[in-house]
Amino acid sequence: MTGIDKQKLRFKVENTHNLPTIPATLKNILNFLENPSISMNKISDFISKDPVLTMKVLKMINSPVYGFPGRISSVNQAVLLLGLNVIKGMLLGVSVFELMQKAMVGLWEHSLGCAALSNLMAKKKGLKSPEDITIAGLLHDIGKVLLAVNIPEVYERLIAVTEKHGLTILEEEKMVLGTNHGEVGSWIANKWNFPKHLVEIIQYHHEPNRARAARVECAIVHISDILVRARGFGFAGDNFIPEVNQEAWDILGFNDEDIKELLLSMEDSLEDYEDLGE
Amino acid sequence: MPRINVDEVKPGMTTSKPVSNENGIIIIKENTELTDSIIDRLKKMGIEYIFVKAEKRFSKSKEDMLNEVEKRFNRMSNKPIMDKIKRIVREHIEELYDRNR
Repeated sequence: MTGIDKQKLRFKVENTHNLPTIPATLKNILNFLENPSISMNKISDFISKDPVLTMKVLKMINSPVYGFPGRISSVNQAVLLLGLNVIKGMLLGVSVFELMQKAMVGLWEHSLGCAALSNLMAKKKGLKSPEDITIAGLLHDIGKVLLAVNIPEVYERLIAVTEKHGLTILEEEKMVLGTNHGEVGSWIANKWNFPKHLVEIIQYHHEPNRARAARVECAIVHISDILVRARGFGFAGDNFIPEVNQEAWDILGFNDEDIKELLLSMEDSLEDYEDLGE
Repeated sequence: MPRINVDEVKPGMTTSKPVSNENGIIIIKENTELTDSIIDRLKKMGIEYIFVKAEKRFSKSKEDMLNEVEKRFNRMSNKPIMDKIKRIVREHIEELYDRNR
């Protein structure tokens, strides 16, 4: 297999906004996200001046994936309620939607499923900010999108042989790239100053035992990922379920009935999912 | 109730709301199971979106869904926790299909 230099790959990924294949509107967003001095006011203005973006963000916030009881009708209100980091993550999530669709058919559905299930689990565990974990669920596979846009031929081939080899995409990535989509996602999450716990969840959603700052949160996204794959909602790049981490399973401590209840609620949240993202 | 593009409608789906033409006249009642010829007619009339029942989004049969679950877990045999997850997901799928029947 072609040897890929990890440092070179990292440089490429960190400069994704310079790719000629990235649409101009997304370039603007990526450039904006990179600015270390984003404030609540700035992000609010940035989104509000673009009606399409405003609509996408509000649609996502008001969707059953988040489960807010009232209607959030303005970006200002959303920023105040959810905080800068959640809005930043959401801005990235809704704007890479098209790239996600292109990178891997079904990845968007998979990501939405994880977002919804992570949200429900966070609430069930009584965590303070379920919205943060929902965003982590939505973005956990961002590394796959980054790989697909930065090294399209290599990644396409990688996905194709994954099936032949009978491996998971994670195993195939490690073999061919010497890294994996979790680590790749964390590069950019770090560069964009996403909060530490979000970086950690993206990085370690397949190895939740390595998380330090966000153990429970990481366990939630790890288990959500596996359950959504097992249920067959969307497509995450391979046809095999990766093994669940026992420690993460035990940290959450859900029993069979809890899981079934969570899965059923997830189905309800996603009933109208076709409307999201467009 | 998912609203879907007529291009994505498949025979066997059931309408969850009546479909009207541009004059507001109902051309297909609620709870109608769609056939190829009905779908053709919708396209010819220029209808873009219709509402269908959620369960018909599962274009696969329950048996196919369960078989796929088996395949996905193929490599994970003899791992008690994975067996448990598989069993829970199987039961979930059964319930989902029964609930929507």
